[in-house]
Amino acid sequence: MAKIRDAWVYKQVRERVREFTEYKQSSIFVGTWNVNAKGKEESLHEWICGDWHRHNLQPDIVAVGFQEIVDLNAVNVAVGNKTEQRTQYWSDQLLQTLNPSHNQQGQPQEPQYALVMQRSLVGLLVCLFVKVQHRQRCKAVASDSVGVGVMGMMGNKGGVSVRLQFYDSTICFVCCHLAAHRENIAGRNADYLNVYQKTSFEIGEDIVRETIRNGSMSQWALGSASVSIADHDVIFWLGDLNYRIDESMPTEKVLELAVSNRLDPLRPLDQLNIERREGRSFQGFEEGALNFVPTYKYQPGTDIYEQRPEKKLRAPAWCDRILWMAQSDPQHVQQLTYNRSETPNCSDHKPVYSTMRVTVKDVILERREAIYKELLSLLDRFENQSLPMVGLDTVELDFGPVRYDQSVTLPIQVTNTGNVCAQFRFVPKLDENYLCKSWMTVTPTYGMLIPGEAAAIINVTVTIDNKTAQLLNGGREVVDDILILRLENGRDYYITVKGTYARSCFGMSLDELVLYKDPIRTIPLDAIERAVHFPNESEISPSNALCIPKELWRIVDAIYEKGLQNHELFSAPGNPVEVSQIREALDTGSPFTSPSSAHSYVECFTKFLRSLSTPVIPSNLFPIVEINSENIQSMSRKFLEVLSPVHYNVLVYIMSFFREVLLYKESNGLTAAKVARICCTCCSPSPANVIMESSMVQRRAGMHLILLHLLETNSI
Amino acid sequence: MSSSRVHHFKLVLLGDTAVGKSCLVVRFVRDEFFEFQEPTIGAAFLTQTVQLDESTVKFEIWDTAGQERYRSLAPMYYRGAAAAIIVYDITNPDSFTGAKSWVKELQRRGDPNVVIALAGNKADLESRRKVEFEEAQSYAEENGILHLETSAKNANNVKALFVELAKKLPKNAPQPEREAFPLAAPQNDNRNCC
Repeated sequence: MAKIRDAWVYKQVRERVREFTEYKQSSIFVGTWNVNAKGKEESLHEWICGDWHRHNLQPDIVAVGFQEIVDLNAVNVAVGNKTEQRTQYWSDQLLQTLNPSHNQQGQPQEPQYALVMQRSLVGLLVCLFVKVQHRQRCKAVASDSVGVGVMGMMGNKGGVSVRLQFYDSTICFVCCHLAAHRENIAGRNADYLNVYQKTSFEIGEDIVRETIRNGSMSQWALGSASVSIADHDVIFWLGDLNYRIDESMPTEKVLELAVSNRLDPLRPLDQLNIERREGRSFQGFEEGALNFVPTYKYQPGTDIYEQRPEKKLRAPAWCDRILWMAQSDPQHVQQLTYNRSETPNCSDHKPVYSTMRVTVKDVILERREAIYKELLSLLDRFENQSLPMVGLDTVELDFGPVRYDQSVTLPIQVTNTGNVCAQFRFVPKLDENYLCKSWMTVTPTYGMLIPGEAAAIINVTVTIDNKTAQLLNGGREVVDDILILRLENGRDYYITVKGTYARSCFGMSLDELVLYKDPIRTIPLDAIERAVHFPNESEISPSNALCIPKELWRIVDAIYEKGLQNHELFSAPGNPVEVSQIREALDTGSPFTSPSSAHSYVECFTKFLRSLSTPVIPSNLFPIVEINSENIQSMSRKFLEVLSPVHYNVLVYIMSFFREVLLYKESNGLTAAKVARICCTCCSPSPANVIMESSMVQRRAGMHLILLHLLETNSI
Repeated sequence: MSSSRVHHFKLVLLGDTAVGKSCLVVRFVRDEFFEFQEPTIGAAFLTQTVQLDESTVKFEIWDTAGQERYRSLAPMYYRGAAAAIIVYDITNPDSFTGAKSWVKELQRRGDPNVVIALAGNKADLESRRKVEFEEAQSYAEENGILHLETSAKNANNVKALFVELAKKLPKNAPQPEREAFPLAAPQNDNRNCC
């Protein structure tokens, strides 16, 4: 979007162009002549310099255009060497005219004018001279030629153009020769348009940008390396435009009026005047009044219109014209003279010239840069003010102690405190693809607020599920994260989320649980803190460990107390509140608060076993051979042999408990098969959301048979 | 005025907490100073244009959080940055040690062409100076980075810091910003001047 921004700045500058521009008066002489391929040594002085003394000036710029410097035959159109030679001839002639070796007093003098640029195309030539003292202030001089003749591209008709930056005004001179023949008005209009549109000057991107910065060109040209005719402060259009007198007036009548210098009836019938009036050609151009008799067609070397009987009789016409367009300001061009010269007269056209006062721009760079600076800081201020802003009621969410199997939600209030719409969303950290840790959820993760709108509430929920508990217990995770709230096109806000895990016996390993005689809540999670907590290392060594976790013992004891004959034991669900109260009592070592139901204790018992980070019966111990009545005894023994001591103790303890339970099967409605299934799911929970392989299903079934066997026999 | 193109550069401010990163930016962008600038929790974004003799540089400034716990998030902001200002507090030697580690991190993990300036801020507190100018200067020279002592409080050298950085940035590099859609001149624009 930088380009649009730049364009805005340039547009502002353009509107303030007067603040950093000084205007200087200059004079420009423009001449045009169709030489009809003639070139007799004949003075150009009257044509080029004759007007100067009338206005007592020496023009700062002299631009002269020629047409038909060579015959427009097929050879000359195709091969350019004759053109080159004639270009040199006319260019030298002009320079000699402009720089006489002696002044009027006969004293030798230095050259007054220098050739800046010339450009030719077959019969067309344009030469540009400036006074030597201005040479340093002519920049970005460029030229182009466009053929629009045969096949729409040959140079028998077309335009040659030069452009320059004179001081800080951009000026373009177009010399052209348009389609001939009295009736071919549309052809001339088309040729004009072609030249206007196709002419292009390669001046480079930097110069184009400078021109825009000077306020001389539309900001839309930004990024372009070339300019067209239209991109100039002042355009001069000269040449043999070939427009004639409208055919509604008979040839003889035109001739009669021209010869007798009665121009009033002719002017309104001039085709160029008609086309311009109707808006069909040369739109935006201006031309001085035609106060000279038509310049075409003369008998060469005479001042008589061509009327010789062997020649076609033609109506005299103002073929040779000079127009201008002052885009910087219409007042910037004031025509002093628009006339024809009677010499040289070797051609069938008479030369035409115009002297003009032209106001040129001189940019004061320091002032221009000061305006830029002013605009840019204005823009910076607005841009910074229009950045989205939000206020957060907190950037730190402290969840305090978070417990196992608990969800806690804290809200953040987001208020739009800026002047624009604020679109916000949470974004992942660099190279991550999640917004937050897995134990946290954020809703919503994005939103929008308009200025003044009521605060949006974002809810952050921390949930300690069994998987997280296992990670926290293993020291592989902490309740600590940073959320990044990003405003679209604006800043980032960090929200710190933290909490402390209130330790639970759930989600731990049997091997660790048996090490601690104190309630688990009091045992630090952090390994270093734990070492400080147990200064005597032997206190927590395996040799000093409990047989089974005290928590398991406490809960089984509680179930006994509630009575094993309880109807629907192990099938009715517990009360969730009671379950978490029981868990809290286990974790803190505090006594169970009655009156929890037996079902709640049972649920706590099964959940505890299922939460262990390593199951009582790891799945790798499932039998690999099919269990049948013949091998069940030996397989059961083998299984018990490979169980680790703590797991063995726990399993034996559970089995004994279940056998007790089965003593009351009449009242509690349990059977050995049911109990074996419960035992199997508690001691070896199948991983959630994973489809087991069929071999594993089979091995698991084998394990089930073994547990059933152990329950029914007294083999432990 | 051979080239007056506007160049866009991402600039990141790094440095330990409470060295004055936000104050430098606020002084540079808004010419204001607050004695009790709140710590930046996140990354603030502002833009500011600098006019040079030969070109115009528009900085897109990311002012980062200095607190240690946010350090791991810094790469989000210095990645892709063409320029970095690493700030320390001349009254706090630890912050100078911190600045050196920021320089190292940037040289190792930042853009290989990143232009770095080391800014010794709070230069108005001369009586409490703990980091000598010469020490920081020779460190900067060894590492080929700019070094200036600044005061966001009295504005000393703040503009100069950004201008020096702007001057050092390569102006011939392709513009990082891509146009979202090509711009065409409106059909009816007659390109008239004035």
